[in-house]
Amino acid sequence: MEAAAGASDMFDAIVMAEERFHGEGYRDGYAEGSHVGVIEGRRYGALHGAKIGSEIGYYLGFALTWQCLLHRAAEEKHSKKIKTLESLIGMIQKYPYEDPTYDKLQEDLEKIRGKFKQVCSLLNIQSDFRIDTERSPLTF
Amino acid sequence: MSWVQAALSQPNEDVFDEDADELHLVQKEWKSTMEKRVKEGYRDGVEAGKDLSLQQGFNRGYKQGAEMMMACGQLKGTLSALLSWCLLNGHVSALLTKTNNLLDAVGKYEERVLKYVNSIYPQPHPGELLDSVQDMGLNHTVPAESKFAGNETGRGCENDSELSENCCEGNVGLDSFQSDSWRTNEHMDSEEPTLTWLKKQAACLGAELGLSLDILEHVQKLES
Repeated sequence: MEAAAGASDMFDAIVMAEERFHGEGYRDGYAEGSHVGVIEGRRYGALHGAKIGSEIGYYLGFALTWQCLLHRAAEEKHSKKIKTLESLIGMIQKYPYEDPTYDKLQEDLEKIRGKFKQVCSLLNIQSDFRIDTERSPLTF
Repeated sequence: MSWVQAALSQPNEDVFDEDADELHLVQKEWKSTMEKRVKEGYRDGVEAGKDLSLQQGFNRGYKQGAEMMMACGQLKGTLSALLSWCLLNGHVSALLTKTNNLLDAVGKYEERVLKYVNSIYPQPHPGELLDSVQDMGLNHTVPAESKFAGNETGRGCENDSELSENCCEGNVGLDSFQSDSWRTNEHMDSEEPTLTWLKKQAACLGAELGLSLDILEHVQKLES
């Protein structure tokens, strides 16, 4: 009986040792993985965020400037353009471009792009002018 | 002679060594098994840790990237608006060229910001970061700002045709002032614009186009 109990203890010890070693490796690996994950995630995130920030900023700068230019002219015929510009500016200002957890990030971006196109066509600005991709390291 | 054949057919077994250290073999086997367990555990751990932290890292990086790039984008959008306005109003080509040049400069600045964003994460060494931030004119500490002011005051709109060249020269002086590790690899030191400089240039351009200052007011408010 005693011999059998001893063998069983021995067996348990072996299994436990395997688990213990696995656990030790796991702990080290987890720390390393967390570190690598944050760095990798940040890099992807930063690039992605930079892209959207640049694009949204572009639309906003464009719209604000044109709004001022048209206000300055103060002509009746511009009222539709100004209204569309204001609508675009409003959309951008409401858009939480810096929040990756916003669930309509892409959906709203598409709407803003559409509005921007509309603005360009109202202003009679050619489409090939709009975004000079040659110039930008980030293509929209 | 059958014993010879038997010996030859098992070349890996030392049939003559009756005193083979069995304990040693068992120990070796045990050690390699446990090493395997550690490795397996490590691999599982890396995977689990990564899974959990990737999204977290992404969210943080995204926010920072988006915020940093917003100012560049706005400046570009503003200049593009001016360019399209010039084109529609048949402005002289000299101003068009100038606007285009400035847009190129903003593009370069954008590239640098992007490089900076990329370089932050692999080795986030605090000293290097601070240097990069100073170098890009992104910080707002008093000494750096006063240097900018010193270099740029009076350089603004004094010379129409050589406006950008002049201000670039102003930047060369500034660059030699603030040498640091990450930029030494760059070959375009003299052409590296700062946001402060670009804002000033945009304001000058606006003035040249006969626009009142309030049109570019939103540009002057830009900060990175």
